[in-house]
Amino acid sequence: MVHDDEATEAVEIGAGADGADDGRGLGAVGAGRDFLASLADRLREGDRSPWGIGTAVVGGVVVLWSIFAADIKIARWLIAGLESGAVYSLIALGIALVYKSTRVLNYAQGELGTVPAFLAYALMVSFRWSDQDVINHPPDASRLWWATIVAVVVGAGLAVVINTFLVQRLAQASPVTSLVATAGAALLFISAEVVIFEAKAREFPRYVSGDAFSIAGEPVRWNTVLILLVLAGAVVVLATFFRTRAGVALLATAQEPFAAELSGVSVRAMSTLAWAGGGALAAIGGLLATMVFGNLRPGLVTSQYLTFALVAAVLGGLTSMVGAVVGGLLLGLVTVYANLLITGLGWDVPGPPQIAMLTVALVVLLVRPRGLFGKEA
Amino acid sequence: MARTERADDAITEATQPAGVEPSADGRARHAIVLADPRERWRPSPIGVIARLAVIAFYILLVIAIPHLIPGTLVNVAARAAVFAIVAVSMNVLMGYAGQVSLGHQAFVGVGAFTSAYFLSEAGMPYPFALAASLATGAGAALVLGMVALRVRGLYLALITIAYGLFAKEVIFNIRSLTGGGAGLRAPRPGVFDSDIAYVYFCAAVLGLILVFDWRLTATKAGRAIEALRDDERVASSWGINVTAYKLLAFVISGSIAGLAGALFAGIEQVVSPIDFDFTLALTFVLMTVVGGLGNRWGVIQGGIFFAILPTLLEKGHSNWHFFPFTQLNAQWEPLIGALLLILTLVQFPGGIAQQQEHLLRWLRFQPFRADPVVDPALAGRKRKRGAGPSGQASGLAGPDVPGLADARPSERGTDG
Repeated sequence: MVHDDEATEAVEIGAGADGADDGRGLGAVGAGRDFLASLADRLREGDRSPWGIGTAVVGGVVVLWSIFAADIKIARWLIAGLESGAVYSLIALGIALVYKSTRVLNYAQGELGTVPAFLAYALMVSFRWSDQDVINHPPDASRLWWATIVAVVVGAGLAVVINTFLVQRLAQASPVTSLVATAGAALLFISAEVVIFEAKAREFPRYVSGDAFSIAGEPVRWNTVLILLVLAGAVVVLATFFRTRAGVALLATAQEPFAAELSGVSVRAMSTLAWAGGGALAAIGGLLATMVFGNLRPGLVTSQYLTFALVAAVLGGLTSMVGAVVGGLLLGLVTVYANLLITGLGWDVPGPPQIAMLTVALVVLLVRPRGLFGKEA
Repeated sequence: MARTERADDAITEATQPAGVEPSADGRARHAIVLADPRERWRPSPIGVIARLAVIAFYILLVIAIPHLIPGTLVNVAARAAVFAIVAVSMNVLMGYAGQVSLGHQAFVGVGAFTSAYFLSEAGMPYPFALAASLATGAGAALVLGMVALRVRGLYLALITIAYGLFAKEVIFNIRSLTGGGAGLRAPRPGVFDSDIAYVYFCAAVLGLILVFDWRLTATKAGRAIEALRDDERVASSWGINVTAYKLLAFVISGSIAGLAGALFAGIEQVVSPIDFDFTLALTFVLMTVVGGLGNRWGVIQGGIFFAILPTLLEKGHSNWHFFPFTQLNAQWEPLIGALLLILTLVQFPGGIAQQQEHLLRWLRFQPFRADPVVDPALAGRKRKRGAGPSGQASGLAGPDVPGLADARPSERGTDG
């Protein structure tokens, strides 16, 4: 406990407003309260502008009208939205953690999830994945739990490798160059998966199956409950971490690397730590993303979730952990809403989630580039 | 670095005025020779003939290639020409203007579907379809350019990623316009219906685009675009209209990409949304970066290389029964591409163009070596300045500079 108190103080004195806010904002106890308080602040801020009120009123009316017009079942919307939103959140959390500490937008975050998922798959089929072998020996779900541990460790390790051998080598380059480099790493991983596992979908077992309970007649799958629980767990772990000495050092490095170095923090070690954390989060996110539809194919997370997670991270404010979680859940709700709306109205418009995603990205970046919780653009 | 050299020359000229008598040790004379080596230097008659011979060889090679390769592979040559055009388009945006685009498949796709729609659904003549894809490509890029006026750097890159996904999933799936998953038929122009004739058609368009690109960099617009890449505030202080020229760069890049799309559609004579995956956008980025940002000959080679690489690996796999070809097939293409990209970024930021620096300079009727330095004392001094021809330590990589200003050779400007 002494440790924690010291650490908190160090944040408030040494790291300043940014670090302190994040340390507290993610506190296990204070998270909800602080979030509500800041939301209230934001609402009060918005009150002063007639545009804010106008937009809110018009938006509310449109949403209410559309819920009736398209016959959207609210329970179904919330369940599906929170499920995909939680996956976006998990991936966005890793993106935000890495961006916060090294100012690199990691395009390989998705593949840091798919590669460990493939590894877990290989462990479950005892490294024999040809068509015939898989028919004779389907994936052994009883190994899933320890395969998960291996996958998470490997995800963290891969992230550290990318950081050490690619990102750090380009430390002097512009952020966009680093982004292109991580995109190259993502392409490398995808093609390695294609070469090894072939470009086809493979059945992937789930930790838990069946329905947990139902809300207003809508069944909730155990898998959805698990994803939400894992997200909550990740938030608690991160919040606890930011109260430890290492966590405070990481926040200090994120804010002012030079000053942190002067106080005896190794900036290099901190970036390794952040990337390892991002990789572990990516691995967990990748496994859970695979379980949403229960099958795995090369480039799955990058093609299905990564762009959404990037937009979610920007929506929440790239440097904010709370933002990543809230942004992911919000984006999940918005995309599922768009989907239900357009199918409900019977319109023949392709790709409603992508329309919603691009709209959200444009609105956030044009109106408020620092996102909901970010400190800077 | 270029600026440092010019400053060097200016200092030399100032301290050694042209009318000075050669001193005993001959330093002054050499210094005058050094004042502007590129202006005074002329290749010898044999040098001129050698250069003309090499250039003629390349031109003949382009003309002969469709006849030299087996008939089933002729389409690959057309693909190479189309990728080279896309590479020029990427180069205008990333190399000259310093704006990253990770969603370039959107512009190519818009051009492809526009041309296919006007040809097979509306029954328009080919030139009209070509002009229409040019226009829609320009329009799509203009929209993105307007976003780029507000949003820059990483955030712009993010928008281009989202835009590419949006285009693939939404625009290219509007069934009434693009035929949805089944795709659209895209016939070739009547005169160029055969595979070989189509290669010449694509190569001719590539030639026109190259002339255009050359004139662009040689005129005010090109210089203005490059100036705003290096620093928008400085550019605007020189009276350059940053907004207009940034939009111009997007529109030029988009229209070239749209044109490339129209040609792309004609290769297989059918286009479907699945052709425009995000991996295609990544391929476009890496062929431009590996080719050498800002150098048109480099990016063209990058484009050609990545267009033929899958076929090359596939053919090597089935014909050559020795390592490494026994292991490699077309699936390895993105893997090799990604490795090349990483190697380029980390080790050779100038890409292929940097490797061929000497050859490219020689073909421009300049000496093979960069600086024919006569005075060893000056040579030592020169080498200490900057970071040599690779430009690795280019000071332009500040956080304010959007795009990839740091990952290009400083010799870029001497091109054309």
